[in-house]
Amino acid sequence: MSSVAGLQRIAPVPTSSDFIDIVLNATMRKTPTVIHKNFKISRIRNFYMRKVKFTQDTFDEKLGKIISEFPVLDNLHPFLSSLLNVLYDKNHYKLALGQINTARHLISQVAKDYNRLLKFGDSLYRCKQLKKAALGRMATIMRRQKDPLAYLEQVRQHISRLPAIDPNTRTLLICGYPNVGKSSFVNKITRADVDVQPYAFTTKSLFVGHMDYKYLRWQVIDTPGVLDHPLEEMNTIEMQSITALAHLRSAVLYFMDLSEQCGYTIEAQCKLFHSIKPLFTNKPTILVINKIDIVRLSDLSPENRAFVDTILSDKSVTVVEASTYSEEGVMDVRNVSCDALLAHRVEQKLKGNRIEMVANKIHVAVPQKRDDVERKPFIPDAVKGRVKYDKEDPNRRKLQRDEEQEMELSGMGIYSADTKKDYILADDSWKYDKIPEFLNGKNVADFIDPDIAEKLDALEREEEALQAQGFYDSDESEMLDSDEEEFRDAAQQIEKKKASIKKISQEKNHLQNRPIIPRKKKHVTLSEFTTGMRKSGHDPLVLEKRAARLMDQKKEAWEAAEARDAEASASGDIEMDVDMDGEESRPSKGKPIRTKSGMAVSRAPRSNRQMAGLATVGQSDKANELRDFAQRLPNRLAKASESDRHVPITRPKWMLAGKRKGGKTDRR
Amino acid sequence: MAVRTQFENSTDIGVFSKLTNAYCLTALASSTNFYSVFESELADVIPIVHTTIGGTRIVGRLTAGNRHGLLVPSTTTDQELQHLRNSLPPSVAIQRIEERLSALGNVIACNDYVALVHPDIDRETEEIIADTLKVEVFRQTVASNVLVGSYCALSNQGGLVHPKTSRSELDELSSLLQVPLVAGTVNRGSEVIGAGLVVNDWCAFTGLDTTATEISVIEATFRLQGQTSAAVINEMRDSLIDHYA
Repeated sequence: MSSVAGLQRIAPVPTSSDFIDIVLNATMRKTPTVIHKNFKISRIRNFYMRKVKFTQDTFDEKLGKIISEFPVLDNLHPFLSSLLNVLYDKNHYKLALGQINTARHLISQVAKDYNRLLKFGDSLYRCKQLKKAALGRMATIMRRQKDPLAYLEQVRQHISRLPAIDPNTRTLLICGYPNVGKSSFVNKITRADVDVQPYAFTTKSLFVGHMDYKYLRWQVIDTPGVLDHPLEEMNTIEMQSITALAHLRSAVLYFMDLSEQCGYTIEAQCKLFHSIKPLFTNKPTILVINKIDIVRLSDLSPENRAFVDTILSDKSVTVVEASTYSEEGVMDVRNVSCDALLAHRVEQKLKGNRIEMVANKIHVAVPQKRDDVERKPFIPDAVKGRVKYDKEDPNRRKLQRDEEQEMELSGMGIYSADTKKDYILADDSWKYDKIPEFLNGKNVADFIDPDIAEKLDALEREEEALQAQGFYDSDESEMLDSDEEEFRDAAQQIEKKKASIKKISQEKNHLQNRPIIPRKKKHVTLSEFTTGMRKSGHDPLVLEKRAARLMDQKKEAWEAAEARDAEASASGDIEMDVDMDGEESRPSKGKPIRTKSGMAVSRAPRSNRQMAGLATVGQSDKANELRDFAQRLPNRLAKASESDRHVPITRPKWMLAGKRKGGKTDRR
Repeated sequence: MAVRTQFENSTDIGVFSKLTNAYCLTALASSTNFYSVFESELADVIPIVHTTIGGTRIVGRLTAGNRHGLLVPSTTTDQELQHLRNSLPPSVAIQRIEERLSALGNVIACNDYVALVHPDIDRETEEIIADTLKVEVFRQTVASNVLVGSYCALSNQGGLVHPKTSRSELDELSSLLQVPLVAGTVNRGSEVIGAGLVVNDWCAFTGLDTTATEISVIEATFRLQGQTSAAVINEMRDSLIDHYA
């Protein structure tokens, strides 16, 4: 935030001893602190060089900040620049900043020198002493900056308390001898609270007040009184007034006290006007005759009147009479001076080229009539008779805000506005009716229109009429002229092509992630095979014959097996044993039974393998039991099972009895 | 009469309210302060309706309307539509519009007789605007901004437009709208007039940041204090030159 227009906020300037403390502290905190003499010498050197460099950097940064934050007087607005010159003495100010800058250079020089020496340090002790010396010298340099730093801190504090004067805005500048009523006038027209006392030089610096006039914001500057003596003899207080007069583009209000209560004669006051008159050139000047409750201009003796007339002989000076005591004419003074200044500023601006940019904003575009329609404003009659809402009126309307506040103050809970209160319905009792949003699965809002049935009927009738007229029949074919047909053909072709491309790409990707069954393992029926062959132009007759023959053989084999089974079941197991030698009925070991066609025939196992290797019935029962256990169904209800952790005893004696030795506390 | 106000610390009150000669819409807020500002000026004259549009509070930017009708975007829910229908007088037609540019307040600027619309608006929408609001519709830009609703505020007595509108454009727009037009700002130099100002034929509400100069321009332009808009070039000319230049 800028306290003064054109001046930045400046950070506080520490005293020299604080400054040293701050920087050395930062060095302690922000550089490594642990070092041993056993470390490699390069590491020790680096350690101390870093400390020296860091200290110098910190000094550099802090001093640089001070130098950059304080305003450069030559870059400021002339008013601010010369005001600062008057208040702080330009030379002194520059010198102080210059000294700070020199200190900064000296410190960097010291750091450079000692870092050079540190490069040749041959032990921890020596490096440490060099560092100490470097920091010590930097501190000494800073200690010598005690006075410039103290001065700059004072300047900073003073700058931050300067009034926020904008040198470019509309300004009324009030000047005159001490005690003529300048400050009381400012207090009258603005809300600035300038101290008013019945002695000279009550006001010791510039004061600013603001006021509104003609939709604009005006700045009123109260200056300290000026005495009539040469410029060189003026003190700081008076010089502030002169600075403001010299550099601000403003209206000048020269205050005069004809009653001579201020302690200065009318002659002296007129002389002062003439001596500072050169500062009023190119500024609207208003001569304000103050304290007219005591003496008016018309009451003056001829000789005094002559003095005043010397001022008024200049046509550019306007005279206004006022009394801040009786408030007579105070507003006149304000209006006259504001009007004069505004006219002056506008005249200046009209000469410049910026006026073109605002030309459209001071232009009212008046419509040209384009037809005979009259477009009247619509203002309800209720507006005209309406009483304007007034917060102070006891009979004022009760607003929702009032209701809300009442409710909150009484602690009755949270207010929520009743949005349904002002519904405009045919019957007021309907206001709070609950209307379903959905009814029978339909959105009620879709059927909210009362005339929806009629409208639908009308639409349907229209549609029927159109159909009857044959509106839809012929149109379609007629509309398809040659262009459109061509267009559709093209579209169809494109669609076909697209489909085929799509199919190809789909087929390409079809098998990528699937197991591919080789063709020879695929089951193919005879009919499929033969039709395929016929399609591709081969004669499948041979194949068909072979297939028929194989079929017959299979059938025969099956019939033979059936017959044998029947025989076997009739003759029984014993006979089978008897026949063991029969070449026909009993094939040799290792050779499977074959039919005439050579196909293997299935046979029943000769012994019960489930009983194999088991000597007794008990053993077989046990085996069955084990099998059933192994094949039991999974525990689908997920109750406790063998895989669950189970702690059979919660407090095992071996763990809890007696003295615990290592390794016994955790029984897992 | 122009009143300064703000909506929950935002000075863009045109975003949260819509004012016409027949009704006023305000956004539902956590307190009734904003509503009550309108209530104190307009109660018993026109209905002031607390509402949301499509669940949002930016009712001023989503709706467009005048004395004859109100247009709401397709995002408006059935319940909100029903609430609006119940709250507004039967003379005001309410129409929900299927339009791609759904911030209707930004794309339509209208008074009771004429409307300016965004150049890219649907032809169907244009017809609906003309039928519902009973206005002549012109596709226009304001100072080469397509969002005509954002950059101007209109009543039947006058209009305030974007400060960079050139004199010739002002004259052209004024002839279309058949009201006197002034280029100006609200909210201490903001050029989004539609966001900082809501106005009808007898009162106006502006953002809290609006300066005295801006208020006086507004009052003169919309003839709220019995002046004519010529005041802008007569009494206020000097002040304006000094303020702007």
